Amino acid sequence: MLDKFEKFNRRLSEGAGWIGFGAIFLMVVLTCVDVVTSKLFLTPVFGALDVMMLAQLIAVSFAVAITLILDKHVSVEFFVMLLSKRFQTAIECFVNFLMLGLFIVIVWRLFAYAYGMQLGGEESMTARIPMAPFAYAAAVGCIPVCLIYLQKLLTSIVETIKK
Amino acid sequence: MSPETTGVVGIAVMLVLFFLKMPVAFAMTLVGVVGFAYLAGAESALALLAQDIYETFRSYPLSVIPMFILMGEFAFASGISQRLFRTTHAWVGHWRGGLTTATVLACSGFAAICGSTAATAATMGRIALPEMRKYKYDNTLATGCVASAGTLGILIPPSTVLIVYGILVEESIGKLFVAGILPGILLSLAFVATVALLCFRKPELGPPGPVTTWKEKIRAAGGIVEAAILFFLAIGGLFLGWFSPTQAGAIGAGGALIIGLARRKMTWKTFFEAGKVGLQTGCMVLFIITGATVFGHFMAMSTIPFILADWVGNLPVHHMVVIGIIIFIYFIGGFFMDSMALIVVTIPIFFPIVERLGFDPIWFGVMMVLVAEMGVITPPVGVNVFVIKGIAPDVPLFVIFRGILPFLAALIIVALIILFVPQIATFLPSLVQY
Repeated sequence: MLDKFEKFNRRLSEGAGWIGFGAIFLMVVLTCVDVVTSKLFLTPVFGALDVMMLAQLIAVSFAVAITLILDKHVSVEFFVMLLSKRFQTAIECFVNFLMLGLFIVIVWRLFAYAYGMQLGGEESMTARIPMAPFAYAAAVGCIPVCLIYLQKLLTSIVETIKK
Repeated sequence: MSPETTGVVGIAVMLVLFFLKMPVAFAMTLVGVVGFAYLAGAESALALLAQDIYETFRSYPLSVIPMFILMGEFAFASGISQRLFRTTHAWVGHWRGGLTTATVLACSGFAAICGSTAATAATMGRIALPEMRKYKYDNTLATGCVASAGTLGILIPPSTVLIVYGILVEESIGKLFVAGILPGILLSLAFVATVALLCFRKPELGPPGPVTTWKEKIRAAGGIVEAAILFFLAIGGLFLGWFSPTQAGAIGAGGALIIGLARRKMTWKTFFEAGKVGLQTGCMVLFIITGATVFGHFMAMSTIPFILADWVGNLPVHHMVVIGIIIFIYFIGGFFMDSMALIVVTIPIFFPIVERLGFDPIWFGVMMVLVAEMGVITPPVGVNVFVIKGIAPDVPLFVIFRGILPFLAALIIVALIILFVPQIATFLPSLVQY
C-alpha cells in the first residue's frame, strides 16, 4: 500500500517537475528574446519582467517535490549516520512529522495569501497579469510535498513499529 | 523569555534540527516562523511565512541564480569541458605531472562558464581521470587534483555562492564576480605549483604524457574558443554593462545550448537532463534563501545580530583576530555543512559584525568562498570527494582525501595571502563602477 503511495507521489512530483521545467525554460527563452529585441531593435518584450517573475514562481514551487524525492535539498547527514538504525528511524519519524506540519501550514497560508490577492484584484506592474492564479498555483505546487512527507511519516512509523 | 534569549534558543534548536538531518532550508523556515510567532504573535508569523515564500520565489533579482546554474548545466551537456581538456592536454600534457596541470587549467577554464564546484569536478573527473590512469598517474595525485581543482568553480566567475552572497548582503554581483578573478587565477597557479612540486619530489606520481607537435597544439587551441566566447558574452557583457546579471545568465545558458546544438552534443535527452538538474539545483538554492529570509526576520526581531555586532565591535582585541575567528568558524562549519547553506545560515549573524568592524564586504565574500571551498574537499561531507569517488569507485575514499591534502595546503596559503593582502580581491572591483 505504502509502495503504491510512494509510486504515486513520484509520478505526481515528476509531472509537477515538468511544469517547472517548462517555466524555467520559458525564462531563458524570454530573457534571450528580450535582450536581442531590446538591444538590436530597441523594442523590449512587453511585460517580460512580469512573466519572468511569475514563471520563476511556478518553476520553483512545482520543482520542490521532485527535488525532495531526489534528495537534493541540502541536509547534514553526518551525525544521524553515527546513530543506531533504531534511533535513525525514530528521528526520521519526528522530522517527517514536523515537515508534514510545516508544509500543511505553508500550503494553507499560500492559499490564504492567494485569496487575499484575488479579493484585492492584484495585478503585475507592467503587463497587468492577475497574480492570484499564480499564487494559487504555487500553493498547489507544494501539495505533493505534503503527500511525500505523509508517506515518509507513515513509512517511518511502520519501520519503528517493526523494530 | 526575552527576545535575545529566544534568539539564542532558536539558533540552538535550528542546529539540533540540522543534526537530525532535517533539510537546512526547511529547518530555517520552521525555526524562523515559530520563533517569529513567539515574539510577534502567530498571526503575523503566518502572514510573514506566505509573503516570504511568495516574494522570494518570484523575486527578479534572484532569477540570476537559476539562469547561471542552467548556463553551467548546458555548458556541461555541450561537451565544452571535453574540448577544453583536449586543449590543455595538448599544450602541457608532456610535462612531468602534465595531465594534472592540464586538469587544473581546464578546470579554471570551465569554472569561467560554470559556477558549481561539484559540476566542475564531475565534468573534469569524467574526462581527465581515465586519461591520467591511462598514463599510469598515481591515484592519490589524480583524484586529489580533480576534486581540488573543481573548487575553482565557485571562485572564478560566474559563482553561484558569490551570487547568493551578493543578494543576501545587497552587494553588486558584477563587482563580486570581478573580485573573484585574481584570487581564482592565484589559486589556479597555486594548484599548478603544488602539482609541479609533488612531481619534482616524486616523478613517478605523474609521468610525462606524449609530446605534441606545434601543429597539433595550435589545432587543439580551438577547444578554448567556445568557452572564451561564452565567457566574454555572458560575463564580459555583464562587466561592460550590456546585461543585467539575470540577462547575462540567460544569454550564457542560451549560448551554451546553441554551442551544444551546433556541435551535435545536445540531444533531447541531454537537454532535458541538464534542464531538470538545473531546475532542481536552482529550486534547492532558492528554498534555502527563502528559509534564510524567514529565519533572518526572526533574528532581526530577536536583535541578536545587532547586540552581537556591538559586543564584538567593542572587544579589546584587534579586528583581524575577530575576522580570523569568524573565518575559522566557517572553516570548521564547512566540515559538516554544504558551503552554500553554511553561508546563507551564517550571513544574518556574521555580516553585521563584519560591517561594524569596517571590513570590505566584497573582500569578505571572496574570503568566505575560499574557506567554503575547503569544506567541499574535507571530510566528512566533502562533496567533491564523493563526486570523484562516484567516478572512480575502485579508489578508496582515504586515498582521495590523502590526495587532497597538498591542495588543501595550497588553498590555505592562498586564503592567508588574501587575508593579509585584501587588495588582491578588492583591486579589480575598485576599477568598475556598477
